[in-house]
Amino acid sequence: MTRKSQATTTAYLFLAPFLITSVIFFFYAFARAIYYSFTDFNLFNTPKVIGLQPYLEVLSDPSFRRALTNSLVFSLVTTTLQTIFALLMAVVLNNRLRGMTFFRTAWYMPSITSSVVITLIFLWLFQRRGVANYVVTQWQTFQPLLLTLLGVTLLIQVVQVLLERRAGHPAGWFDPALAATSVLGAVLVTALLNVLGVVGLREVPPFDYQYFADKWITVGGARVLSIPMLVIIIQNTFTTVPTLMLFFLAGLQGIPGSLYEAADIDGATPLQKLMNVTVPQLRPVTFYVVTVGLIGTMQMFDQVAVIGSAAPSETLITLAYYVYTNTFKAGAAPVNMASAAAIILALIILAMVFVQRRFFPSEVR
Amino acid sequence: MTIRKVLLLGLALLASSAAAQKTIRITGYGGTDQTLLTDLINRFVKPTMAKQGITVVYQPLQGDYNKGLTTLLAANTAGDVMYLPAETLDGFVATKKILPLNGLVSTTPFIKSLNTAFTRDGKLYAIAKDFNTLTLVYNKDLFDEAGVAYPSNNDTWTTLATKLTALKQKLGSEYYGICLQPNFDRFGAFAYSTGWKQFDSKGKTNLADPAFVQAFNWYTGLAKDKVGVTPSEVSTDWGGGCLKTGKVAVAVEGGWVVNFLRDNAPNLKYGTALLPKNDATGKRGNFLYTVGYAINASTKNRAAAVKVLNLLTSAPAQQYVLEQGLAIPSRTALINNAYFKKTEAGAQNARLVFEGADDGNVRAFTFGPKGPDWGKPINEALAAVLSGQRSAADALKKAQSDMTTFQGR
Repeated sequence: MTRKSQATTTAYLFLAPFLITSVIFFFYAFARAIYYSFTDFNLFNTPKVIGLQPYLEVLSDPSFRRALTNSLVFSLVTTTLQTIFALLMAVVLNNRLRGMTFFRTAWYMPSITSSVVITLIFLWLFQRRGVANYVVTQWQTFQPLLLTLLGVTLLIQVVQVLLERRAGHPAGWFDPALAATSVLGAVLVTALLNVLGVVGLREVPPFDYQYFADKWITVGGARVLSIPMLVIIIQNTFTTVPTLMLFFLAGLQGIPGSLYEAADIDGATPLQKLMNVTVPQLRPVTFYVVTVGLIGTMQMFDQVAVIGSAAPSETLITLAYYVYTNTFKAGAAPVNMASAAAIILALIILAMVFVQRRFFPSEVR
Repeated sequence: MTIRKVLLLGLALLASSAAAQKTIRITGYGGTDQTLLTDLINRFVKPTMAKQGITVVYQPLQGDYNKGLTTLLAANTAGDVMYLPAETLDGFVATKKILPLNGLVSTTPFIKSLNTAFTRDGKLYAIAKDFNTLTLVYNKDLFDEAGVAYPSNNDTWTTLATKLTALKQKLGSEYYGICLQPNFDRFGAFAYSTGWKQFDSKGKTNLADPAFVQAFNWYTGLAKDKVGVTPSEVSTDWGGGCLKTGKVAVAVEGGWVVNFLRDNAPNLKYGTALLPKNDATGKRGNFLYTVGYAINASTKNRAAAVKVLNLLTSAPAQQYVLEQGLAIPSRTALINNAYFKKTEAGAQNARLVFEGADDGNVRAFTFGPKGPDWGKPINEALAAVLSGQRSAADALKKAQSDMTTFQGR
């Protein structure tokens, strides 16, 4: 055995565990799914090939069409939101500030927590007597006081800045020292008005919004996004932003400082630097983040499974969940339809990545 | 002796001992059933079977039982004997993995309606292990405080609604008359009371049937002025949870509520009444919730499995089940049981659950051949109306259209 072939054998030996698991649990399973999608398989019978019929049945199933719309809307909205927020957060966390390690750790926490646990927490936050409704109730109760406080603060700030400027001092609208005085003054005024009975707490009934109900955001009469799905979008953005932020942080470290210096010399504002230096330089990272985001969101399953029957199925069903529910039923199940749906899902993801590769450059120009 | 020979000898010994020791596995629910069934098997099944050199083990499935059993059956690893819920019977019969019991087991000692629940096309697929029906379970203190008479077995829909409204008016906004679950599992009993049929001769469901509409309007109408409240509004997910809060006077539940209240609300004084009669038909409606013992068609020990099934449903085993208070056994002979004559709240509840099995329009709790998704349009309509999002007429219209689509698939 030559030295080279020996090295190759060693490499394959080390790769073997991963290759074997991939072959069994991916390639074999995938091939089986393709086969089942053309048969009448129901878990218990001997599969008989029936051609494209399962695909036609799936495409004419209203529940599949809802799942498809839900998955696409969820995927596009979540990927957009999480990419933008991850980029902004990375830019913020890339600064050298006191206690930055703490913030980096704190912001990363949601990412390492189990999605099932986070879903349960969100379910609790958004239930009928949950924290979300409680906060709205509190806001409505304290509204007169808070609005008075805000208005008076603004008023004092404007008066102070104008007085300073008249005296010839260069005072900015957001000067922190003046703002502190304004807030203090506003607190005193509000407290006085409260004691005098001019403004006070409002008597409001508890805010009673049902988030996990058959409620929809419609566009031209078509149901586009359900409120329960919106809650999942918020949750998913909250949990995935930190991981994607890490990729952006790594990318940011690689941008040459000289580019920012040149921009500074040209007199660029922070926003111009972000749009003209940071964003173009991060293009390869953005490509990766968007691709991973699209694949991850198209396959979203766990949140829907945990919420289960707490929300009407139509509002939450996604393609992955559709595949699951058609495979695991009580007794015989339309596994052929589930397989067909899974293949359609795979094709959509492939197409998405292809379109992205074809039309959006992944290299820094 | 070489190592190889020792290994071979060891394997041979293992194989022979396995052949001598037959094992019958029973697949069933986890949770409370696990403790109860293990004890029941130890007392009434193991001693007899051990004499024949057969061991019996209980194999509980945690989580969703139906999905778990489906996977085991598909993989040919399900137990020789297994729990078979009546509501998912059709899906499992379609797998051809359930052994028809005709000629293998005698059905005469068991309540007829229960045998019917497990029969499809003349083939009996399981023997009911026990059953439950629905009753009105009420908080005595709340009725006493409001000075309103307790719900009684003579109540009609109208008299019950009057009592509940009076109670709500006396006790104020913090208290509610009745816990209304937004699903067919409870509402269906009231629909049956009007004489409504789940499926017509063609297997289709008619939600526009005036009988169904009447029940729907009465049930959702209770939510008016918050006399009726959904479990989620009092931060729980079922009727027992509603009672536990001490703020809801009545819940529509079966015998399972007894153990729950004993453990979770030991100071709650409760009573039980039969479900109210429909004013027009003068009949009650009810569900038979039942789970049976079935035999795996691919078991290698059919005779032993049948013996185990007979022991599990024997008179002494059923007496034990009754006394544990979990469910009501399925033998007709237990009607005159001394336990039913006791005055404690749990025994009273058990008696009324037993009486409910053949009083009025009683149907097995099942979703038909298409499985549990059948109930979804009804559940969604109930939820939409009870939470005030839709009018009853509007919700029923949508439900019928969803049902037509579902059944047309």
